[in-house]
Amino acid sequence: MKNKLLYIEDDKEIGSWVSEDLTRRGYDVTWLTSGDHASHYMEGYDLVILDIMLPGLDGFSIGQRLKKEYPETPILLLSARTSIDDKLQGLHFADDYVTKPFHPDELTARVEVLLRRFGKMSQPLIQLSHLSIYLDQNRIIDTRLNTEIALTAKQFQIFTYLLRHPNQILTKEQIYEAVWETPYIVGDKTLMVHIRHLREKIEENPSQPQIIETIRGIGYRVKQ
Amino acid sequence: MKFRHSLLAKYLLIIIVALIIWPFVLPAYYIPSYFLNKDFPQRAQYMDTNKLKKMWHHEAAKLDGATPEQVNQKLHTVREQYPLAWMFWVDGTGKTKLILSEQKNIPAQWTLENSIEFMNQSDEDPITFVSFIGGKQSNGFMVFQIPPSVTKLPTLSIIDNKLLALYAFLVFGLFLFVSWLFFFKIRKRLIHLQTAMTETQENGIPEKIVINKKDEISELGKAFNHMIDELIKSRHHEQEEEALRKQLIANISHDLRTPLTAIRWHAYSLQKEPLSSKGKDSLHLIENKVDLLSHLLENLLSYTLLSAGKYTLQRKETDIIRFIRESMAGWYPVFEKEGFKIDVSLPEKALSWNIDPHWFMRILDNLYQNVIRHAKSGQYVGVRIVDYEGRTAILIEDKGPGLDVTTDKKGAGIGLSIVSLMLQEMQLGWNITSSPKGTAIYLYEK
Repeated sequence: MKNKLLYIEDDKEIGSWVSEDLTRRGYDVTWLTSGDHASHYMEGYDLVILDIMLPGLDGFSIGQRLKKEYPETPILLLSARTSIDDKLQGLHFADDYVTKPFHPDELTARVEVLLRRFGKMSQPLIQLSHLSIYLDQNRIIDTRLNTEIALTAKQFQIFTYLLRHPNQILTKEQIYEAVWETPYIVGDKTLMVHIRHLREKIEENPSQPQIIETIRGIGYRVKQ
Repeated sequence: MKFRHSLLAKYLLIIIVALIIWPFVLPAYYIPSYFLNKDFPQRAQYMDTNKLKKMWHHEAAKLDGATPEQVNQKLHTVREQYPLAWMFWVDGTGKTKLILSEQKNIPAQWTLENSIEFMNQSDEDPITFVSFIGGKQSNGFMVFQIPPSVTKLPTLSIIDNKLLALYAFLVFGLFLFVSWLFFFKIRKRLIHLQTAMTETQENGIPEKIVINKKDEISELGKAFNHMIDELIKSRHHEQEEEALRKQLIANISHDLRTPLTAIRWHAYSLQKEPLSSKGKDSLHLIENKVDLLSHLLENLLSYTLLSAGKYTLQRKETDIIRFIRESMAGWYPVFEKEGFKIDVSLPEKALSWNIDPHWFMRILDNLYQNVIRHAKSGQYVGVRIVDYEGRTAILIEDKGPGLDVTTDKKGAGIGLSIVSLMLQEMQLGWNITSSPKGTAIYLYEK
């Protein structure tokens, strides 16, 4: 099943290119040139791509309204306004902010990250090296022996958090705070211990991890 | 302002009242004793000696041809009316008849000698009226005396009278107190005014003053309030201008970025067409230039806003090590893609700096951007916490050709100008050491 994207953009040229490109990349795109009636379309959409400078209501007002009504639908602001103030205002409600001129690949990557983060991926199966991960069923299969890998709750939470932010480097503070939901205390080794145990279960060679990559001095990354 | 409302008028009133009441102060002191001391009203009737003298002569004149008993009777009647007075009478032969007096040396038989002696008898003479009975010398005379204790005025000596001293002191004290109160109130209001003028609200403008009087200080308050109105008006105007300016800049940015987006998109579409290697190179160049132009545009607009002081700075205590780590997490893939060796060495501890995180993010972005643009040949970026001249500093270093080397990728200037402005605003210091072997940038708290 295709992911449904609602794209609001008044510039005819950019609008048609972006919707064509996203359609070609496998999304079901609805393009509106004004956001005045956007809320009528929201039902069933997985993500909103929103321009800021629009005729009638501006992107900030529309975005705030949509986020209030549909807090579970990610909003990506796609704007030619780049000042810090605009970004701050935008990120009050929006989940990402991409500035023009943007690269089509970058836009697609950001859309994918958001869909994954909000659990809206139409493909719940992730293939990663020798692992098949069914995020919706909380199952991880080792494809070499076709056995299920049993993870503790915390290990699974850490792994899925990394999987939902593919190719992104996450600092240990970010991971700790997302999984434990308490502020990270400097020097705490809990997360490192959990990751070591996690690696022992999922990596072919835990001393040379291929799935969860350590970025020295920064954090961890899962490449997909 | 009307004169009667002025402080001057009030002060003059205090002074005038003080001057006017002074003559009444002493009489006022005796008012209580007049009412409390029963003796006093009694004595008052002896004060008007003329009246008494007339009364005595009148009574004497009526007694022409009266018998000694009648004269006695009259003296007793008068005595009832003036119990404090002394009286006696002497008949035509010089013999003293009735004595209604405490005076001891009244002669029984009057001769010229003892008459003179009687007149000179004491230092404190009683006031004495002598009237011939019936107006004739042959009938004898009658004497009316007011003893000195009755006529003597109350003493005015402050030294003698402690109560009076206290009273005088109180009156003087009251005047001082009223004067002090007057100036104390003025002083209090002036201080209040000063406080009101000094303390500012969130918008940096003092609050208006509540005015409920009509004097000089209130006039000053009114003038101050007027000034506040003007200030608010001008601040409002300034904010409008600022909003307009920001809007204008946002519009320019938008209008320039929209065609850039189109160029990028066309370049991207071209990539899918069959192209010669030269064509692909050109395309790559176009993409790079679009990036550069977009970045320059952003810096130019930021610089315009920053140098005009139109960026809002919101400093807060931030763990700078965690902050650098998170910012580097974002930049890592970019460096990685360009083939950089990335050396991040941050200690396992918290280091708190008072910064605006968004501004600081911009600073780091600009510095990393510069490394990518100008130090690509070095293929190295290092981010560390080091000790720099006794301070804890962030060190960002590369192994590029150095900042002074002219490259075909200009634009570092404005990026670094923004870094410099932002650091200055956040009261952070920085230092660049650059050589053909590389560049090191130190950021530290001043």
